[in-house]
Amino acid sequence: MRRRPGIGGLQTAAATRDQYRLVGENVARIKTDLMKEQLATFRSQLEDFARKHKNDIRKNPTFRSQFHEMCAKVGVDPLASNKGFWAELLGIGDFYYELGVQIVDICLATRSLNGGLINLQELCNLLCQKRKAARESVTEDDCLRAISKLKVLGSGFEVISVGKKKLVRSVPTELNKDHNEILDMAQGQGYVTVEEVKRRLSWSSGRAIDALETLLEEGLAMIDDGHKDGKRRYWFPCVSFVTTS
Amino acid sequence: MQKLGDFKLPHFFNYPPYFTLQPVKDTRQKQVQLWKELILDYCRTQKIFVIGLEDDFPLFSNSAIERSLSHEARDIFLSGLVSDGRAEWMDKGHKKCLILWLRIQDWADCILRFVKDNGLEDSVMTVEEIRSGIESRGTELHGMHRTVLMRALRMLEQKGKLAMFKGSSADDEGVKFSA
Repeated sequence: MRRRPGIGGLQTAAATRDQYRLVGENVARIKTDLMKEQLATFRSQLEDFARKHKNDIRKNPTFRSQFHEMCAKVGVDPLASNKGFWAELLGIGDFYYELGVQIVDICLATRSLNGGLINLQELCNLLCQKRKAARESVTEDDCLRAISKLKVLGSGFEVISVGKKKLVRSVPTELNKDHNEILDMAQGQGYVTVEEVKRRLSWSSGRAIDALETLLEEGLAMIDDGHKDGKRRYWFPCVSFVTTS
Repeated sequence: MQKLGDFKLPHFFNYPPYFTLQPVKDTRQKQVQLWKELILDYCRTQKIFVIGLEDDFPLFSNSAIERSLSHEARDIFLSGLVSDGRAEWMDKGHKKCLILWLRIQDWADCILRFVKDNGLEDSVMTVEEIRSGIESRGTELHGMHRTVLMRALRMLEQKGKLAMFKGSSADDEGVKFSA
């Protein structure tokens, strides 16, 4: 279109822009509609899939984990609410809710033995034992998912990493960096001595004893004076398996 | 899982710190509770009635982990049982402890059941026969500790369920069960 000078020219330019804008909006709207349609199709296919495989999802941990991955990719959270399609159809919300309750039970039951800090592996083992009758086994993955839901409820549950292990904390005890380092060291033999702590971490006596005594007071450590070398050992139930054989 | 003969030992028995008296109150409480339960369980299944503190009682040490309970620990755990009414000190020096894995009342009930099952109402038996006679074989009464038996019998006597009397020999006492 030939540009014309003057007011007329400006008006034409404006009208042209408008027209382009309209076309652009149309295109966008068509794209959005298409997308919505695709998503609706996908969603109904996903729902069909879930319906068909409901049992597998409940009974098979590997399958369940892959299902979650798939949902995550599409931005669907089957655990988002306890009502609605997903929860009702799959009872997945219920599944994790149930798991959460069992986890709380186990943590409470073992608290006096480990001070409120339990090895994720041990927790998982105890859970599987509890669920043996229903023949619904769970993986550490499931536990972590259930615990993250528990966190949302503000129940004070948290998963902390110490070295290579994951520990589940069910008490409000805050562990600082010093405590973490001791727990990490304890994973080797299940215990540490003041000497070892001082030597390997290059700490002063005061710092080592302070940290160990705090862990002792919190119920996370137990003393052992029975070794023939006469050195006091601090054992950490949360890094060993104290409740299962 | 470690075993002592037929007896399955709980997991804590193999965890060294449990052999040291814990200083932290809550931890100590849990420790004492676990040990009390273990001692009671073990005595019940092995039919042990007396524990001597200085004896080589199998639960007092675990050679696999090279740990033993100190005298103080032993005293504390057994005293715990005494407070619970599940044991009695036999001497002031706390050297020997009588373990009541069944309370005296429970033993009394056992005796009454025994009398009923064997139709012994209105009949006579010696104390010794009760604990080692043929009739008692296969029952809890067999091999019972004499002191415990006497206590249960006395309790029943007070309730009028039987009468005790001295036999002709100096050795034994007799029991006449009520009709």
